[in-house]
Amino acid sequence: MAPMMWSPVLAQAADPGVMHEVTLAHYLFVAVAMFVLGVVGFLTRRNLIIMFLCTELMFQAAGIALIAFGRFYLEYTGQSFVIFVVTVAAAEAAMALALVVLLFRKRESLSAEAWQELKG
Amino acid sequence: MDHLLSPWLVYSACAVGAAGLCIALPRKTPTPQALGAILAGAAAGLVILALTFTHFEHRPNLYFYIFSIVALGSALRVITHPKPVYAALYFILTIVASAGLYLILSAEFMAFALIIVYAGAILITYLFVIMLASQSPSEAKDDEIPRYDAEAREPVAAAVVGFVLLASLTGLAFRGAAELPATRDAIASLPRHTLSGPREAREARIMSDMPRRVRAILREKGHEVADTDAVAVSVDGRTVTIRPAGGGEARTVGLTEGLSPTNVESLGFNLLRDHPGSIEIAGVILLMAMLGAVVLSRKQVELDEEAKSRQARLLSGDGGEA
Repeated sequence: MAPMMWSPVLAQAADPGVMHEVTLAHYLFVAVAMFVLGVVGFLTRRNLIIMFLCTELMFQAAGIALIAFGRFYLEYTGQSFVIFVVTVAAAEAAMALALVVLLFRKRESLSAEAWQELKG
Repeated sequence: MDHLLSPWLVYSACAVGAAGLCIALPRKTPTPQALGAILAGAAAGLVILALTFTHFEHRPNLYFYIFSIVALGSALRVITHPKPVYAALYFILTIVASAGLYLILSAEFMAFALIIVYAGAILITYLFVIMLASQSPSEAKDDEIPRYDAEAREPVAAAVVGFVLLASLTGLAFRGAAELPATRDAIASLPRHTLSGPREAREARIMSDMPRRVRAILREKGHEVADTDAVAVSVDGRTVTIRPAGGGEARTVGLTEGLSPTNVESLGFNLLRDHPGSIEIAGVILLMAMLGAVVLSRKQVELDEEAKSRQARLLSGDGGEA
């Protein structure tokens, strides 16, 4: 059965003849750069919601790296792992956002510095 | 050691990127943010282009460049935009571009699942919370951005730390990745423990678990198969043995191209056959997250004594004739 090819992207990706064009280094660089953007955002932004958004950015970078490795070794475990990454991201978003709403109710501010006494 | 790229090129590109990001982060005083973003983008583009031109025979699909530019550019905007709503919207753009990258890597199911789950569900939750948790606008400062949003904390230190991380990670990855096999033949010659068997055998195993699919494919190719016939796929996926249900003679059908499962089928078999325990754990994590979110975001209602007794009467059925 011919695989569904409704776009040139998919057609090229699904063609085993161009397998060698999958280069790991390019995807790894994009993943690492996105991860670092997430880290820098997490360190610099003071808004609690944006800090959590930056952790999602890091999850996303990990997902790209996992799928690139999985494609490279023709393994599906990488893709299975991305499913779990998305699951954990969803769970984290639910918990983190509930916490943010709770903290906002107490201090009327989204600033991380409103909770500076947590430093101890 | 064979490097994919000269480490000095990578390190200097990282330094330029750090400087660009530092300028692009929001400050109290007006700074040339766009210039910084362009600088950071140019540094990332330099590395990707250098990778492409030093290894031209292994260059990726053209769409890779489009999707990675959009993904990294909007990721930069997520962390530099002072307004949270815009940051969340740029994050959706990052997700869509990553889904494009997944498509190039022929992970179709994950690409669409990503858009549905991330862009459709998680980010909408974020947007709701941003709207729920924004300060009520007062007439004096209607359009003013709060200080904690308008000003980044320690931008220089964070950019330096982040880009030292980037430089060391890319330096390591490029040194190791050069030793990774780049062609299909090289992948086929990998030691067995790195893969769960040769690809054809894996695909044939998956196909032999779907006799209905195999029968449909055989019929499509013009072979006669009854629904009750047993079909067995050979290890290389190129021949199928058909055993009639009535006990007749088994015949073997050769195929010009091997039977191969689709992405969704392979992923499903991998997920359910190889990682069943992980699915259970994921389910428990989701359940606990749901309970935790409910408990955390519950609002404490203060009731005085009179209201409490009224509520108790209502619950016991005395006062609630409605």
